[in-house]
Amino acid sequence: MRLRDLLTAVLAIALGVIFIYASLDKIEHPDAFARIVYHYRLIGPSASVGPLPANLAAVTLPWVEILAGIALISGVWRREAAGLVALLLVIFLGAVSWALLHGIDIENCGCFTVTGAGRGAGIKLLAEDLALLVVALFIAASPVPSTLTTPAADA
Amino acid sequence: MALRVIRAAVIVALGGCLGLAWNSLSGLGFALTRNVLVQEEDQVVDVAEAKTRLGQGALFLDARPEAFYNMAHIPGSLPLPEEDFDRAFARLEPRLRGSLDVVVYCAGFGCEASHIVARKLKERGIPAAILHDGWPAWQDAHYAERTGAQP
Repeated sequence: MRLRDLLTAVLAIALGVIFIYASLDKIEHPDAFARIVYHYRLIGPSASVGPLPANLAAVTLPWVEILAGIALISGVWRREAAGLVALLLVIFLGAVSWALLHGIDIENCGCFTVTGAGRGAGIKLLAEDLALLVVALFIAASPVPSTLTTPAADA
Repeated sequence: MALRVIRAAVIVALGGCLGLAWNSLSGLGFALTRNVLVQEEDQVVDVAEAKTRLGQGALFLDARPEAFYNMAHIPGSLPLPEEDFDRAFARLEPRLRGSLDVVVYCAGFGCEASHIVARKLKERGIPAAILHDGWPAWQDAHYAERTGAQP
């Protein structure tokens, strides 16, 4: 196995673990996560759209996170899952930037925990999301080694 | 490439279906048309009703940070910022105890401060209504505003 393949596999598992971990508290407390989505004031609730878009995002997003995490760890559809995670991270980066630019004080970013005190949404969070984005893009760009087509490659 | 996009879309679609199923079947979910900031015991009033109550002498409280209050607020309202509740409450308590009708507002929509302040007031024996959609609703209705620290 080439070094890049090994590195990609390790990073994919790490990213998968992070995303599965991030989904669990949200799955257990959908309404608490909805509250946090509201706090960003990005997709409502507002006079024009009501609470439905934010509620839908809160209910479905953690399940996309956990599926992408499982795909990253298992290696099935790994590049697609990494691409999807990259897209999610771009959305998170956009949401946090939006909050920072509009002076919206997000006490709990809703990243890992949605009940009680969480981490704030600030510059440090942007840097972390950016680092994860680089990792996700690296995995998405790395071909999955096929042991079926090259059975004797390591021999 | 098309196949990869389709696979990513499948993950999103599957996640969406699982999320909706979990929300309706797990017992942990909530009604998707409901604003989760509003709890059953909350008394919420719309902007027209709020204006009527203001005219009848209701005491209005601004739950936003005080800097926002100073920029503009509902005329006659007093600052009771959620982030500094205990101190502000101690100052306003005599006034609040003497008020029969209290309405709390904040920055609207995703703002939870008015709900938190109203609940804290209720715990202290002061029933308070919440202005639905808060300050933006008041502005959209083109009702009077006041700037500065004076109520």
